[in-house]
Amino acid sequence: MGGRARDVALLAPACLTLALLFGGALAGIARTSVVPLSGAANLDAWRTLLSDPAFGAALRFTLQVTLVSTLLAAAAGLALAGALRSRGTLARALLALPVPVPHLLVATVAVLWLAPGGLAERLLGGLPLDLVRDRAGAGIMLVYAYKEAPFVALLVLAVCGPELRAREEAAAVLGAGAWQRLRWVTWPAVRAPLVIGSIIVAAYVAGSFEVPLLVGPNSPPTLATFAFEATQGDLIAGQGTAAAALLLVSAFSVVLALAVMRFARDVEGA
Amino acid sequence: MAVARRLPAGIVTAAIVLPLSVLLVQAFADSWQGPALLPQRWGLRGFEVALGEGPGAALATSLAVGVATTVAALAIAWPAARVLGERRLRHPGAVFLLLALPLLVPPYAVGTGLTEWFLRLGLTGTLAGLVLAHLTLVLPYTVLLLLSGFGSHLRGLEEMGRAAGLSGVQRLRWVTLPVVRPTVAATALLAFLVSWSQYGTSLAVAPARPTLPVVLLPFVGADPQAAAALSLLFLAPALAALVVAVRAMRQAA
Repeated sequence: MGGRARDVALLAPACLTLALLFGGALAGIARTSVVPLSGAANLDAWRTLLSDPAFGAALRFTLQVTLVSTLLAAAAGLALAGALRSRGTLARALLALPVPVPHLLVATVAVLWLAPGGLAERLLGGLPLDLVRDRAGAGIMLVYAYKEAPFVALLVLAVCGPELRAREEAAAVLGAGAWQRLRWVTWPAVRAPLVIGSIIVAAYVAGSFEVPLLVGPNSPPTLATFAFEATQGDLIAGQGTAAAALLLVSAFSVVLALAVMRFARDVEGA
Repeated sequence: MAVARRLPAGIVTAAIVLPLSVLLVQAFADSWQGPALLPQRWGLRGFEVALGEGPGAALATSLAVGVATTVAALAIAWPAARVLGERRLRHPGAVFLLLALPLLVPPYAVGTGLTEWFLRLGLTGTLAGLVLAHLTLVLPYTVLLLLSGFGSHLRGLEEMGRAAGLSGVQRLRWVTLPVVRPTVAATALLAFLVSWSQYGTSLAVAPARPTLPVVLLPFVGADPQAAAALSLLFLAPALAALVVAVRAMRQAA
């Protein structure tokens, strides 16, 4: 067997399993969105979805939460990376703490602290607003900022090694001021991990499900929780509407995935 | 001066660690009426609920699915990770895209899509169905992490083993495994963690056989103490992953 044929054979188990499971999942939601449990294929679910004002509200809400959470995580991640750049292993380990912690757990902790009667209210004697069920989604944004800022920071810190330090010092020797070093040496290095990290965060938040179930408002839902509610509300027709909504979020995430690949390739090629 | 320089790091640490510490207090707070800052009565009621009939079964399901998914993912990922880690493909872009896509599509969408077929195959609500659904997300992570263990260095060592007359099995036993063991261990831990954390996929394919996160969610509003106790159990593998990561970082440094 030639080297190339052998490589393909070695890749086959993983690639075929993934193609089958992931392709099957996408085909599954596509099918559910057009073929109702009883009857022939039709576009009723899509018509219902697109004419439902609740779907429009969920779409707007999802985009808003995604945009704000991503910007918050990126800004906080950059600040964290700056604060911990010259710190040792322990500080980085503590920084890494929220990365493996499940989203659901962070949301649970947010409820224990911030819900009415929670710990923050006891400590402060009262809270000016209910973050947990905030209609603008502040609770969701807070959970994602806490969870994803360290993720972004670790990606940024990964390029802030001795090599970058040496280039900054070289620029200083050449007479570049602090601002100029930041603009022409540091920023070009951290831009790629920052953008790639942010796109990944955006894809995560767009599909967020358990976080809004716990700390989101009852209405509007995110697209994923909108889909879940549709299946709970109408057991027959709801499945199709839910699948159509999920297919739209998935398409959005696929576009973001392509953007990451594209950006990573441009960076590598540059 | 030294204090001023340490301040940002201190604030960062507190901001990250302090929020999670509430779980330790809440989990053992048998009675905690506001506005008291500490519980009036400490006890183990939370863990009695958390390890009781329903949640206990969910814990077992999560463990079984996590272990099975991890083992399956490692076995399936190994050959692919080898090819990718040794950079033997001229154009690996398509493979990496296939690996990235499942990680970015909402897990609830993946679970809902698979349910369409699992209903026909009798896999909904089964352990096998849960493992397959989790594999969709765990397998890409496993390949991406495992490939860092392979490379020209290992290949050179294996060539030496071959030249020294070691058989295939002997090379695997004496050369390959010792070299990749740390990577495999870290990958296994993270693979388990990804399965352990799944919410949307599990809820979609097995609503009748809940996993730990699925039983945890309703407790958060209904019984904060039980929720905190379940959360501590839920947190344990993540902390183990962190300890392993720190030890690896120390060794690398």
